[in-house]
Amino acid sequence: MRELAGKLLRLDRRAIFVLIALATLIPLLYPVGLPIRVSPEVRRVFDHIESLPAGSVFLLSLDFDPASKPELYPMAVALLNHAFRRDLRVVTMTLWVSGTGMAEKVVSGVASEYGKRRGLDYAFLGYSPGGANVIINMGQDLNAAFPADHYGERTADLPVLRGIRSLRQVNYVVSLAAGTPGVESWYVYGKEKYGFELGGGVTAVIAPGLYPFLDTGQINGLIGGLRGAAEYETLIGMKGKGMAGMDAQSATHFIIIGLILLCNLFYVVAPGTVVRSFDGPQDGPGPSTGLRTGSPQEGQR
Amino acid sequence: MATSVLIGAWVAAGLTLFMFSFLYKDNPFFRFGEHLYVGVSMGYTIVRIHYDVMMKSLYGPVAQEGKWWLLVPALLGLLVLTRFIPKVSWLSRISFAVIVGFGSGVAIPRIISSNILQQVQGTLKPLLNAGSSRFGMAELNALLILTGVLTVLVYFFFSIEHKGAIKIAARIGVYFLMVYFGAAFGYTVMARMSLVIGRFDDLILFASRDYAYASVVLLILVTLGLLLWERGSTGLTTGGQRRTQTPPA
Repeated sequence: MRELAGKLLRLDRRAIFVLIALATLIPLLYPVGLPIRVSPEVRRVFDHIESLPAGSVFLLSLDFDPASKPELYPMAVALLNHAFRRDLRVVTMTLWVSGTGMAEKVVSGVASEYGKRRGLDYAFLGYSPGGANVIINMGQDLNAAFPADHYGERTADLPVLRGIRSLRQVNYVVSLAAGTPGVESWYVYGKEKYGFELGGGVTAVIAPGLYPFLDTGQINGLIGGLRGAAEYETLIGMKGKGMAGMDAQSATHFIIIGLILLCNLFYVVAPGTVVRSFDGPQDGPGPSTGLRTGSPQEGQR
Repeated sequence: MATSVLIGAWVAAGLTLFMFSFLYKDNPFFRFGEHLYVGVSMGYTIVRIHYDVMMKSLYGPVAQEGKWWLLVPALLGLLVLTRFIPKVSWLSRISFAVIVGFGSGVAIPRIISSNILQQVQGTLKPLLNAGSSRFGMAELNALLILTGVLTVLVYFFFSIEHKGAIKIAARIGVYFLMVYFGAAFGYTVMARMSLVIGRFDDLILFASRDYAYASVVLLILVTLGLLLWERGSTGLTTGGQRRTQTPPA
C-alpha cells in the first residue's frame, strides 16, 4: 500500500490536469442533465422580481469584468430575460471600467431579443468613476452621477428614467459582482441610506462571505457562482450557459473529492511519503526536480 | 458569419490555448498571451476612462452645461500627477488629504453600521425572539451562529493565556473556522471549475465548422509549436544527442 501511495503521489501532476480536462469536456459534449435543486436564496431574488408590477424600475449593476464572465454572464442573461419578460423598466450600469464593453453587449443583446428599445424600455448608463462614491452620488442625484448614458444621450432626456431622480425611486437593485466595488458597496452605501431592496449575484469565491448579510436581511437574495446561475435559469425555464455547465461542474467536483479522499487515505496509511520538494526553482506546473521519498519527519513538514 | 466575428473567435481560441499551455510548463506562448492581456486591459481601460470620465463626466458638463465647479476635482486629480515632479510633489498631498479625509468620513460610519451593528443585531435578534415561540431549527441555527461568533472571537483574543475554559472555547472556535475554510475552499474550487467550463464551452463552440474549426487547428498549431520550442530549449541535435550547453560569458 505504501509503495502504491508513493507511486501515485509521485505521479506527474499534469495527469490530474488531463483528468480534470476530460471531466469537463465529456459532460459538455454529452450532457446528462442532472437535476438542479433551487436554493431559497436564489428563489428570493426570483420571487422579488416576480412580485414587481410592470413598469417598476429594476437596476442591474454589472460589477465584473471578462475574467469572471463564465460565472456572472449567465446570471446577467437570466436576470435580464426575467426583467424584460416582466416588462420592467431596466436600468443597467457598471462600476468596473474593464467590464463596460461586455456589459453593453449583454444588455443590448438580451434587449433586442425582446424587441425592447434603448432609452425607452431600458438604459445602459455605462461606467462612472468613483466606485462606492458613485452609489452615494446616485442616491442624491442620478443625473449628476451619470450626466449621459453609455451612448452619449443625456440621462435627463431618457424616457425610461422619467420620474427617477435618485436611487430612492428604484424598486429593486441587483449587483452582479466579482469583488469590490460590488454587492458590499451597494448595501453599505446604498440600500441602508436610500431604502431600496437589494439582491446579489456573485462569483462562488466571494459567496460564503455574503451569507451573514443574507441572514440579517441586508440583501434579500443571493445567486452564487455558476450553480446559482443554473438555478435561476431553472426558475425562468431557460436553457442557458449555467445549466449547460452543471454536468461538467458535478463531474469535476466528483474527481476532486475523489482525489482529496485518496490523498487523505495515503496520508493515513503511508505517512512517510514525501510528495515533492519545493526547494528548487520552478518554472510552472510541470514536474518538479525534487521528487523523492523521505523520512517520516520530512513528511510532516 | 461576419469576418470580425470569425477573427474574434480565432483570437479568443488561440489566446485561451496559449494560456492553457502553462499547464504543460512556462513557455513563450503563455508569456505572449500574458503580456498581451496586460497590455490590452490597460489600453482598453485608458480608452474607456478618456470617453467615460474625461469626455462624459468632465468636458461635456463643463463646456456644454457650464458646470465649472467640476474643474475643482479635476484640478485635485491633476495634482496627484505632481508625484512625478520631485520639486512640486508636495502638491499631491493636498489631493491625498482630500481623498483620505472624504473617504474616511464617508466609510467609517457606514461600515460600522452595516458590518458591525447590523451584524450584532442579526446575531442576537433570532435568540431574543426565541422566547415567544417553540425552540425549532431557526433558533438552533441562531444558537450555532452565536456560539461560532463568540468562540472565534475568543480564539482571536490574545491578551490572556488560552487555559481552562478559554482554551476549550478557543478550540471550539478553531473548529468553526475550519468549517468556514472548508466551505470557502469548496466554493473556490467551484469558481475555478466554472472558469474552466466557460473557456471549454467557448473552445467547443469555436471548434465547429461555422468558425472554420478554429480550436482544432489552433490546438494542433500550439502543440506543434510547443514541441519545436521544447526541442530547441533542450538543445537536442537532429541525431537525438544532447548538446552540451556552454554557459553565458
